[in-house]
Amino acid sequence: MNVISLVAQLVSDAERLQHQYEFLSYGLTAAWVILVIYVLMMVARERKLKREIASLRAMLEERR
Amino acid sequence: MREKILYVLGIVALLILAWNINAIARLPEETQQGVTFKIIFFHVPMWAAAMTAACAALLASVGFLVTKNFRFDAAAVAVTEVGLAFTTVGLVTGSIWGREIWGIWWTWDARLTSALVCWLLYAGYLMLRKAIEEPTQRATFAAVFSIFAFIDVPIVVFSIKWWRTQHPQPVFWAGGSFPPDWTTHFLWNMVAMLLFGIVMVAVRLRQEEAQREIDSLRRTAHAQ
Repeated sequence: MNVISLVAQLVSDAERLQHQYEFLSYGLTAAWVILVIYVLMMVARERKLKREIASLRAMLEERR
Repeated sequence: MREKILYVLGIVALLILAWNINAIARLPEETQQGVTFKIIFFHVPMWAAAMTAACAALLASVGFLVTKNFRFDAAAVAVTEVGLAFTTVGLVTGSIWGREIWGIWWTWDARLTSALVCWLLYAGYLMLRKAIEEPTQRATFAAVFSIFAFIDVPIVVFSIKWWRTQHPQPVFWAGGSFPPDWTTHFLWNMVAMLLFGIVMVAVRLRQEEAQREIDSLRRTAHAQ
């Protein structure tokens, strides 16, 4: 009887731990995903600005 | 040179974070909340960085209204945008922690509600900037709005002291404490987040400079 309750306790602890690790990983993943999306948005904006500056400079050069 | 320094700082911040994830994973379980508690290692530094950004936005906005120097306006928009990204992470990680510990994703208590209002205000600040074309008017309106939005920041920070909230009381300034090795990892994460924030603000500032150059080139093209 004692062995059965010990095994049941171990299984329940393992399940609880697995559940908690699941939520910890959701938290970490969410944090990284949001930051990575923001960094990618910054990179895209940087490229767009560089393209725009280059095209405006080229247009002004042509006019001269 | 400036770009290289930024890249190095960014890489250092990411290395600290990556090393710290490994170290935090090895820390023992917290007695009440188990391993879910470890979300605090990211949740609190994100909010610290976000609140620091809000303070910087206030100073930059006041600076613009006093001097009418557009560098302050650029600084205000840069720190606000980066701060908003951190606020988003803070809200999401807090919600995930709440789902596991409280059994709910969200509750309208003073801390959570004021934090959401803070997010909405700073998102509104960025929308306001998009809505106004004329640069001086845009910078002035945005600076006034940013100062108004800052009123919510002390409410977010002190709400857990002023009202009885479901959100836990602060660990560090309410008599609580971490074991020393936990504090070390926590502070390293704080340093990494602030460093990462500084890099992002510097990149965003450079983009504002580029935007000003585009505006000036457009004016020249229009005048020709």
